[in-house]
Amino acid sequence: MGPSRASLRPVLQSHRSWRNPTPVAAPSRAELVRIIFDILRTQLLSVGSEFTEQSSLVDAGLDSLAVTQLLLAIEEATGVWVDESLLTPENLASAESLAACVYELQLRAS
Amino acid sequence: MSSWQTAAPIPLTGADCFLRAFDAQARWQNGASHLSQLVLRLGPGFDLAGFCDLVTQVSRANPILRAPIRRPFGLLPPVYDTPRARLDAAPPVRVHEFPSSRSDGIPDVFFQRLNGTQNLRRGDLLRFDVVRYGGGAEGTDFAMTWAHLLFDGSGSERFIEWLAACHRGERLPNDLSPAEGAGIAATSAEASMGPHTRGPRERGLKARAYQARMAGFAARPPRSLAGPPRRTPQALRYAVETFEKEETQRTVERANQQAGFLTPVLFYLAAVIRAHHAVFRERDLSAASYVVPVVANLRPKGAPSAIFRSHVSMLWFQVFPDQVEDFPTLLSVLKEQRLARIREGFVENGAAAMNFARWAPSRLYARMAERVLKGELASFFFAYTGDFLPGLSRFLGAEILNGFHAAGVMASPGSVALLSLRAGCLNLNHVRQQGVFSPFELSTFRGQLRKDLLGVDGSR
Repeated sequence: MGPSRASLRPVLQSHRSWRNPTPVAAPSRAELVRIIFDILRTQLLSVGSEFTEQSSLVDAGLDSLAVTQLLLAIEEATGVWVDESLLTPENLASAESLAACVYELQLRAS
Repeated sequence: MSSWQTAAPIPLTGADCFLRAFDAQARWQNGASHLSQLVLRLGPGFDLAGFCDLVTQVSRANPILRAPIRRPFGLLPPVYDTPRARLDAAPPVRVHEFPSSRSDGIPDVFFQRLNGTQNLRRGDLLRFDVVRYGGGAEGTDFAMTWAHLLFDGSGSERFIEWLAACHRGERLPNDLSPAEGAGIAATSAEASMGPHTRGPRERGLKARAYQARMAGFAARPPRSLAGPPRRTPQALRYAVETFEKEETQRTVERANQQAGFLTPVLFYLAAVIRAHHAVFRERDLSAASYVVPVVANLRPKGAPSAIFRSHVSMLWFQVFPDQVEDFPTLLSVLKEQRLARIREGFVENGAAAMNFARWAPSRLYARMAERVLKGELASFFFAYTGDFLPGLSRFLGAEILNGFHAAGVMASPGSVALLSLRAGCLNLNHVRQQGVFSPFELSTFRGQLRKDLLGVDGSR
């Protein structure tokens, strides 16, 4: 089963205050890569050390349920909602490419 | 044999218990078991003797295949009683010799098997039917029929892949680890709920949240084409329509574009809802709403996928007739509902609720479902399982020409649409209780489905 909201808390708390839902500062692109990679590795996927920030997310087992849980976790961590229409094979190629997509959205929003 | 396979009884998962409840209900009302079926249409060369031998070996090494399902002391949650499995009796393989050439139609024996009974308490969980044409020289039709809880759809495909690998000598009948076999790290059905659900109180709250959401559907209760469940013999038949490659490509592109390449299931669900709605309109019937469950796979993502037991929860959708008239509107509603349900933890709540079914008497759960949905179980059932046996081109020496699932459905709602892809072609399998659809209504159903999937008139 995918993670509950409570189970994602430890990962998200390091990036965002739960008492104050507004992020202190928008994460950099490198930080976004780390946030997304951490969520995937520790909460959503059962993967070993071979899984890297460049690994294919679909090949690693990301499915329709897990990807939606990932979007919700990204929203909690960054305040950015990635519309499902942006879930193209290119954007889901790796944690890095997804972070690039989120970073773009973040820039546009600011 | 690994220790997990015989050391102790294996608990049923919550989803197993849910399905066991429907088995009891189907037996009581419809005189049939709640079974599922996987069909392979094979070319020449099927190694029948090798298959029978393999089934014997696999059965000896994996007693869950013949384990009686019992509730210890009549009170505790039910288990696959593997220590009491009959290792000397492998799942039966029935061979049917057909001298004539094969047709596109499904052999009647497959329907008979799907409408039969299998005694869970005696460990009668799995059966095989092999229909050979011209002694196998003209091909073979193969059906694996099982008590629906022994495998879920994903597990059944993994089982077939594993059998094929054993026959090729790449795997062994006794080489399944606990995680790969029954999906257990420890022999505990609690594990099937995932690591994030803590004590009984939290689980109780989740189950209650699930029940409250379900009760909310009753404000505009669903209706099925078969009407509320009643005592009538189960008489299921199915017909598979296989799209051409070009049609499939067009459909898949539309699904990916409109619903997202990881969530095409909503596109197919929308099309199937509208196909049923067209039949309602034809009958001049109005349903206050359509309520449909969609299975969510709970297996850990990226880990070896469990074969035995059911590892699923359910997302339920409810749409109203005025939302169904227009395809984009319907798809948009389904997308919103899916996101909202996942956001509120509906999948986890469903797993918690099903886990409570482990303690409840079998029939109670189905009765509760009927009461919540005002007499119905659902408007219909539906599944889109994606690629069917991807990467497997041959089975026991024979080329796989086509393959699909054929899940059983109770006489009410009496209709289940199963969609999957095989070798670049979309298979639409519509399993229905005989008499629920008139020939004209079936034509309406198929026409509307093709129209929405292809985005054109749909006539060939």
